[in-house]
Amino acid sequence: MDERESAGMRGLYPFLYAEQTDMDGVLDEVSRSTVEKAHEIVRLRCTVAEACAADVAACAVRMAECFAAGGRLFAFGNGGSSTDALEVATAFAAPSRGRPLPAMSLTSDVAVVTALSNDVGFEVVFARQLAAFGRPGDIAFGLSTSGGSANVVQAFEEAARRGMVTVALAGYEGGRLAELETLDHLFVIPSSSVHRIQEAQTTVYHVLWEVTQHALIHMSKAPDGPVATGTR
Amino acid sequence: MSVAMEDMESAATEAFARREGAGKALAADADKVALACRDMAACFHRGGKLITFGNGQAGTDAAHIAVEFMHPVIIGKRALPAMAISNDPASITEVAAREGYDEVFAHQVAQWAAPDDVALGISPDGQCADVLRGLEVADELGLLTVALTGGYGEAVPESPAVAHVLTARSGDPSVVKEIHVTTYHLLWELVHVFLEQPGLLGPEVIR
Repeated sequence: MDERESAGMRGLYPFLYAEQTDMDGVLDEVSRSTVEKAHEIVRLRCTVAEACAADVAACAVRMAECFAAGGRLFAFGNGGSSTDALEVATAFAAPSRGRPLPAMSLTSDVAVVTALSNDVGFEVVFARQLAAFGRPGDIAFGLSTSGGSANVVQAFEEAARRGMVTVALAGYEGGRLAELETLDHLFVIPSSSVHRIQEAQTTVYHVLWEVTQHALIHMSKAPDGPVATGTR
Repeated sequence: MSVAMEDMESAATEAFARREGAGKALAADADKVALACRDMAACFHRGGKLITFGNGQAGTDAAHIAVEFMHPVIIGKRALPAMAISNDPASITEVAAREGYDEVFAHQVAQWAAPDDVALGISPDGQCADVLRGLEVADELGLLTVALTGGYGEAVPESPAVAHVLTARSGDPSVVKEIHVTTYHLLWELVHVFLEQPGLLGPEVIR
């Protein structure tokens, strides 16, 4: 069909063509949105790397010291962040390379989570588990995109009481987690998109895992043990 | 000899930087993402549900995808039916013990599948035999099949049973996961763009 004939057909039967035109338009729009958001997270990761690399290194060294002294890691979060807590536990406990380390997620045991929620309240689901498991020198690792999850905040308060090392990941401006004075390490992803926050948090905990592994290797080579805080 | 903190800081900086290439490569796959969203939206529009699965870290992604669709973080977006079949340790261990580990997802897909459903398997190295089996059974049952892959394995991305393959361009499983998180956030968000265009997907049937 030549172009003129095609235009004539469109004129006669616009409904035959409208759907295809709309679909092409939406596909274009969706492609553009994908490109934009892919670049947005690349930029956000750069921002986080510049702002947090030193803190990530310090936190990883502290975590390595905990593990070297027999500490364990307990991870927690709600919703999408509960799947991150699971990933943190899996990354440390069953790594694709490097040394397996004792880590568990407090979101996995449905019996414990529903029992505590039903009998006491959802705000204690992580704190009560830390009260049972936690020892000085263990690591409490909590994630909240908003920084405002009551059960995550309570868990950190309990962890601090027990002498655990506390590591928090938040978004926006840190929410209630930014007001907690007892946190040892807080990484705030400066974004207002829940999705981009979660994506950058995933990078932060992967880099924390990787540098923890580095630090453990260096510490095992160093007879003096701990990492020097100054320069060589 | 003790370790200098500056060495750890450069290790962190180097690790952050290692994400950049794969992150930018996702933008180059924008058209593939758009087509996957279009076809997934059509399935939801016809009343289908989403079935997700993966091993280990990818199992946590399967769970994340399901909750993303079921309970949107953006107020006003409708809930779409989605289930992560890798979440049920009782079924997984039972099927693994009886039929072998490669059948853990295929078995559950066969139980839950309806023709308008979408099966989404995640294989960070592109060669998970159980994820491939799940997608093959889904394809046989007439489901739309989508795979998130990475690494250099060819079994999943090259399988004729997989309609849409979205590959993270990295051999590092941590980086692959991070690209997948962005990818499925986009899948969720952009499926809704198609669903929200009146008349685009034909007469309204979504429940």
